[in-house]
Amino acid sequence: MRLGIRALLVAAGLAIAAGPAVAHHSLFAVFDEGQTVTLKGLVSKVEWVNPHVYLYLDVPDATGKVTTWSVETFPPSTLRRAGLTREKLGYGQNVTLLGYKARNGKDLAFLRTITFADGREVMIALGDIKEVR
Amino acid sequence: MTRALLLVVALLVALTQAGLSAQNQAPTPRTADGHPDLNGVWGGGGGQGAPNFVQKGDTLVVVFQLDGADPLAAGNYFQELDRRGSERKAAAPNKPPYKPELATKLKEASDLQSKLDPAFYCKPEGVPRMGAPSQIVQTPGQVVLLYEGRNTFRVIPTDGRPHRDDLEPTWNGDSVGRWEGDTLVVDVANIIDESWLGADGWFHSDALHVVERFRREGDALTYSATVDDPKMFTGPWVSTRTLRLNTDPAGALVESPPCIERSGENQVTNDHH
Repeated sequence: MRLGIRALLVAAGLAIAAGPAVAHHSLFAVFDEGQTVTLKGLVSKVEWVNPHVYLYLDVPDATGKVTTWSVETFPPSTLRRAGLTREKLGYGQNVTLLGYKARNGKDLAFLRTITFADGREVMIALGDIKEVR
Repeated sequence: MTRALLLVVALLVALTQAGLSAQNQAPTPRTADGHPDLNGVWGGGGGQGAPNFVQKGDTLVVVFQLDGADPLAAGNYFQELDRRGSERKAAAPNKPPYKPELATKLKEASDLQSKLDPAFYCKPEGVPRMGAPSQIVQTPGQVVLLYEGRNTFRVIPTDGRPHRDDLEPTWNGDSVGRWEGDTLVVDVANIIDESWLGADGWFHSDALHVVERFRREGDALTYSATVDDPKMFTGPWVSTRTLRLNTDPAGALVESPPCIERSGENQVTNDHH
């Protein structure tokens, strides 16, 4: 019976929704939600493409050697709905970035928060918008 | 609880129907040649939707909707998103009627969606997967369908000419249209057998045949696709959607960013939505 109600709810949702949600890969298949990484560096590029926008962060180590991290985030349509642009994602700025690490050990993460020099933050989250209103 | 949910569902359905019938009662404009005027942006247009962000102090919180989950808390949300996606697919009310002997192959394709789905790797969705158009441009003898996702167009003659026989199969196939009363009927043939009909492993054969119907009543457009594949299906598969005319200037179509797939090679499991 529970499944029946859920199916009805899904059907009602489909009848009302403006369009299908875009879903790409499983975040679980690529990133470890239990493993975060904090990176400080320059956002040298924001690649505004489907199905996921990518930030590229140039992170210097203690010796000055720079490693470029790839940081994946939501699709362009989701970011655009929130008014985000390349600039608002830190393009050309030095930022502190918190992300979930890639399971394969590459210099790759999924964006959680960007913190700017003036203390402002952009947080990217899965969750219910009603819970934070 | 169960009764409350059913009431909510009934109310939603009733409200939707009331809204649609109000739109249906508006007069249906016609073009100079007497056909219903299908011109316009239909549905969401412009990729906009309900607000998905909240400013909390110095923090702008941008949310990808996962009902009931606190976005600020830590959780097992990545897996939860996949679990709900699988559940939604399993409970889909309208699935293609595959022949029973294809069940094993279908499950394999579904399980390996993140490896096999052509659209996952930025190939076109094609007809019929991409659904109703975002905009219709109607001229005497020709209808042009525009799809904002992946910047796709289809040019459909409505002057009575037959299907072309000089083209290789394509993702959107070869379309010819005709008017049956006030309904535009589009016959689509020669669709490439590489495309899928949906993300749940829904493959098809070179025998795929699609008939789309467009009917405007007031400011509502009913779009349906009747899909048949005699090699794969036990009968036709019909899906229907009703869209509203979108007259908001903000709904104007804009170019979609290109599709460049970078995640596939980094997947360490076959999990998918």
